[in-house]
Amino acid sequence: MPRRVVESDVCIIGSGIAAAMVAEKLAEERRLSITVVEAGEESDRLGARTTLRRRYLDYGESPWQNDHLDGYDVPGIQSRSMQVGGLAMHWGGVTPRFSPEDFKHRSLFGIGHDWPISYDDLDPWYQEAEERLGVAGEQGPAALDPRGKPFPQAPLPLSYNLKLLQDWAARSDIPMWSQPSAKNSRPYRGRPACCRNDTCFPVCPIGAKYSPDFTWDALRRAGRVTLMPKTVVRRLTVDGQGKRIVAATAVDRATGNQIEFRARTFVVAGGYTWSSHLLLTSRDSSHPDGLANRSGLVGKFLTGHRNVGGFISLPLELFPGINEQHSLVSKKFMRLPRGDRYIRHDLRVWESSVGKEPRLADSAGRLLLGDELLADWRRRAATGTARVRAYYDVIPDRESSLTLHSSQRTPWGDPLPVLTFRDAPESIAMREPTEAAIRTLFAEMARAGNGQVLSTRSDNFQDHPAGGCRMGTDPAASVTDAWGRTHDHENLFVAGAPTCVTGGCANGTLTFCALSLRSAAEIGKEFPAR
Amino acid sequence: MAMPDRRRFLLGVAALLPLPFVARRFHGLAVQSFDPAILRALADAVLPAELGPAGTERAVAEFERWLAGYREGAEILHGYGTGEIRRTGPSPALKWSAQVRDLGGASFLTRTRVERQDIIRGALTGLTLNSLPPADRAPHIAVGLLAHFYDSPVATDLCYNARIGRNSCRPLAESPRRPLPLAPRS
Repeated sequence: MPRRVVESDVCIIGSGIAAAMVAEKLAEERRLSITVVEAGEESDRLGARTTLRRRYLDYGESPWQNDHLDGYDVPGIQSRSMQVGGLAMHWGGVTPRFSPEDFKHRSLFGIGHDWPISYDDLDPWYQEAEERLGVAGEQGPAALDPRGKPFPQAPLPLSYNLKLLQDWAARSDIPMWSQPSAKNSRPYRGRPACCRNDTCFPVCPIGAKYSPDFTWDALRRAGRVTLMPKTVVRRLTVDGQGKRIVAATAVDRATGNQIEFRARTFVVAGGYTWSSHLLLTSRDSSHPDGLANRSGLVGKFLTGHRNVGGFISLPLELFPGINEQHSLVSKKFMRLPRGDRYIRHDLRVWESSVGKEPRLADSAGRLLLGDELLADWRRRAATGTARVRAYYDVIPDRESSLTLHSSQRTPWGDPLPVLTFRDAPESIAMREPTEAAIRTLFAEMARAGNGQVLSTRSDNFQDHPAGGCRMGTDPAASVTDAWGRTHDHENLFVAGAPTCVTGGCANGTLTFCALSLRSAAEIGKEFPAR
Repeated sequence: MAMPDRRRFLLGVAALLPLPFVARRFHGLAVQSFDPAILRALADAVLPAELGPAGTERAVAEFERWLAGYREGAEILHGYGTGEIRRTGPSPALKWSAQVRDLGGASFLTRTRVERQDIIRGALTGLTLNSLPPADRAPHIAVGLLAHFYDSPVATDLCYNARIGRNSCRPLAESPRRPLPLAPRS
């Protein structure tokens, strides 16, 4: 059967939030044709989300039943999401920036690695990302929260609960403010203001939270992109000199037919897993270790951050449920290390009902029915609970990596990836004192409010994963340059998360978007302006 | 065979064959088998009297709607940190329908509230109960009813005597205000 050929100026592989940023900027600013190739299905339409949310609330069902592919059960992966819009279809919409220190670990603290760009370099791209996503944010104290321009939207207001919790944190001399979020505090770019449905993660039923489908819908309506779902790109092929990518070979999952995508520029935007995976599976006789891999670092230095969370009982009259998914944030501990050792982390506080839930039996084990159960709950709920969490950064190890599985294959016969996250030795040494310092902080905060720590825990995985195609100036020590262009192939870019050198100590999505926009600006230089 | 007898027979067969496909097939039948009057008498015994007859009726109706809409094998939300895909378990309706019958049928309706609570306490003897489980995993229909109600925004408002309206669309601008108290019941 002849293979179908699709030609465009730019071919973007993946349709998550990084791809959406690249496509939107290019389509707005340049005259060019764009094809977007997505392995997963179309995501459910906005109109269906009220019903899907209801089933999530009632039964715990995923509102995104079609967001992954069978046969892609990848060891070590942290989310199976693969659909139009990617993982950002069910993100929480939390959009902090990294801090300036995140880009200068080696220079400032003598550990880890510096990025090839500084916070100041990225500031305008952060701003652009915030404007495109529609971030509602509050300017924190300037020394803790530097930024070049105001947020595009006023902050989500602090709820009655968060105001009380902000006062509580202030007793420990911790300034906290409204967490920046890609949730509208007013109607913005055709989407309504948030009305506290409080299921931002996993689904906003009204579209007040940004998700990439809005970008794709707008671009497709305007005829600015061709988006092809259910199409798995399996290989990139290079020209005879190995300098340029000439085609991306894919399979149409619906028919099994092959499709060849040809373009002047290729953008791999498959996130921290599928970007490295595609480069590795594109190996050929001239590139036995995969494409863009002269450094041997494709799939290496996977990064993220760890966290310590907890619940603190406080003698405050709180009303859980006013706006549960919105939090306070502080960068007090993120800007500079604490004490003599390198200890950095962010800090967040949410309202919570943990430890105050209704229960079936009292402390003596007596079954509670009828009025007794409600009375018991009321007694327990008379005081409040704060949920606290601190993300602390992890220095990635070189062998924190994505490799190709020796035997397990995708339905198309390609090796599945295997992900193994590892902390660098200096990071392992930091882990215990960092977690101890965070637990001590929680205890101090509890004491300052005459409360008590109910529980603490650390997740046993690196959250908000990134890396695998880290950026740098030295082609021997990085996969892409500071714009996301691969060192080895002049028309091949990697967008967003994979290019991160470190994972910072805050959610990475806004940083991924800012990096993607920066890449788009560089890609756009080869095409005429609109 | 009269219809109720046939239902009872089929449910008995289903209870003997706890296979997923049997459970799926019999879910609808089991839901239909619940005697609405007994379910309401059960709710009257385990839910707070403060709800009043209308509030109790709403809670039972919501529970019936929830149970009828249960789907086995539906994909559960997969969060961050894992690639595992999990699915909802067997419908609790089969197990619960037998428990409703075990409450004593029509005689349950003639009991006082306290007597009905004693019957339920007896039925729950031997179960390890402390926190409320997710409703679909409740070991007894009385616990399922309680779990479903106490997971609702109505219950939260009742507990806090405040119009919080958890998980409902509410103006953002009102979030800084202390929630208003519930209107007194007439």
